[in-house]
Amino acid sequence: MTHTLAEHEPGFVPPVDAAVKIAVKGLDFFYGDFQALTDITCDIKANAVTAFIGPSGCGKSTFLRCFNRMNDLIIGSKVEGLITLDGQDIYAAGVDPVDLRRRIGMIFQQPNPFPMSIYDNVAYGPRLHGMKKKSELDEVVEMSLKRANVWKEVKDILGRGGLTLSGGQQQRLCIARVLAVQPDVLLMDEPCSAIDPTSVQKIEDLMAELKSSVTIIIVTHNMQQAARVSDDTAFFLQEVMGEPAMLVEFGRTPEIFTSPKDKRTEDYITGRFG
Amino acid sequence: MRESFRKELKDLKSSVLDIGHTIVDVTHMAVKALVEGDVELAEQVIAGDDDIDIRCLAIEEHSLEIIATQFPVARDLRLLHSLGYISMHFERMGDLGVNIAKAARRTAERRGPQTLYDLIQAQGNLVHRVLEAMLESLDKKDIELAARLQDMDEPIDHLFKQFFRELARLQDEEDIEWASSMVLASRYLERIADHAVDIGDRVTYMVTGQFEAPAEEEEA
Repeated sequence: MTHTLAEHEPGFVPPVDAAVKIAVKGLDFFYGDFQALTDITCDIKANAVTAFIGPSGCGKSTFLRCFNRMNDLIIGSKVEGLITLDGQDIYAAGVDPVDLRRRIGMIFQQPNPFPMSIYDNVAYGPRLHGMKKKSELDEVVEMSLKRANVWKEVKDILGRGGLTLSGGQQQRLCIARVLAVQPDVLLMDEPCSAIDPTSVQKIEDLMAELKSSVTIIIVTHNMQQAARVSDDTAFFLQEVMGEPAMLVEFGRTPEIFTSPKDKRTEDYITGRFG
Repeated sequence: MRESFRKELKDLKSSVLDIGHTIVDVTHMAVKALVEGDVELAEQVIAGDDDIDIRCLAIEEHSLEIIATQFPVARDLRLLHSLGYISMHFERMGDLGVNIAKAARRTAERRGPQTLYDLIQAQGNLVHRVLEAMLESLDKKDIELAARLQDMDEPIDHLFKQFFRELARLQDEEDIEWASSMVLASRYLERIADHAVDIGDRVTYMVTGQFEAPAEEEEA
């Protein structure tokens, strides 16, 4: 006989909604004794771009790192509540964080190519997962660089070091490196704050192209960027210093930027504080 | 930076309100010219329309500059967008005032029955009330007052219909051109009030972020 868990019972996993890629329910996050996030509940839609905005220190990057369990690497950190990816609890026993990080790739503020050739940067992940045939690797490298909108610029210099590229090209190389292992989700933590405006435009364009196949979550301090690129926006706020941050409002981006429901959201996005 | 931006928005709103007060004056003067047969006053209204058009255009240009440079969002965006929309209404209301003034110019040479002048004056007084209330709702962001504009507009529509009926009775005695100019003037007044009601809906949007469905327009 199958026992169906009630919502309040430990181990309960809500039914899967196909439009929801990541579901978060009652999430609390702690750095040791300090609670950084409290009671966060939201659904991240599949094949959409979701932007996290809020003042510095409001926990948006902390929250982002919960999705690929990057916070596990911080000693003393603790997650309570539930995060599911396609209905599966990502913190459940038996989930391999390395495999999870293949499914949920991450791009950081500073481009961080490996000190190796452009080709090897992109081939690194597929090789790690056992791909050996040169022809297969060639195909993945080309396809990934194309998807990352950087192929035309590097196709004749694939043997050159990744670190010789410009900042914007390096960031797109990093995106290609993530895409090479075919992730379901792409986490982007301030991906455009350290690069030139032309590259920013290219990355924003590629986000629009990629979302048909990848779910994207972006943390950005640039509210115009959030408004331009995202479908949904989440506004985080730590109202009192020393208290945990919370998710104040989550909604469709056009609504958040024209008629936000919460006055704190309105005050933040119109520059009245923060 | 944000402080100067907010001052710019405040100044822009003041400029729009100033145009609104000019519209009140223009409407008042146009009705007076019509009722008193004052051609000089009518010419003054007609001559002043270019100035209203220029001021409305300046609002639009300034709004565009602010959008391009300050990236307003939420209540600031709604305010800015609404001010542009309202100034567009003012420009049309100014044109309607000119139309009434032109009717005054055409009808000044003959004197019709006093009942009709009284009706036009009564209609003008009601329109004046609606315009003042509309400006107050915009100035104070008073959405309750904005919502009452629709009710305040109804007697104006009734007066227009009454005016039309009175004219129909007079058709044998009065010449057609005089009669048609007068009925058109009454219609223009009614249209000015309709614009004010639309502006009231925009004030509601500006404050709440919710669009009101436009009221069904009755056929005259």
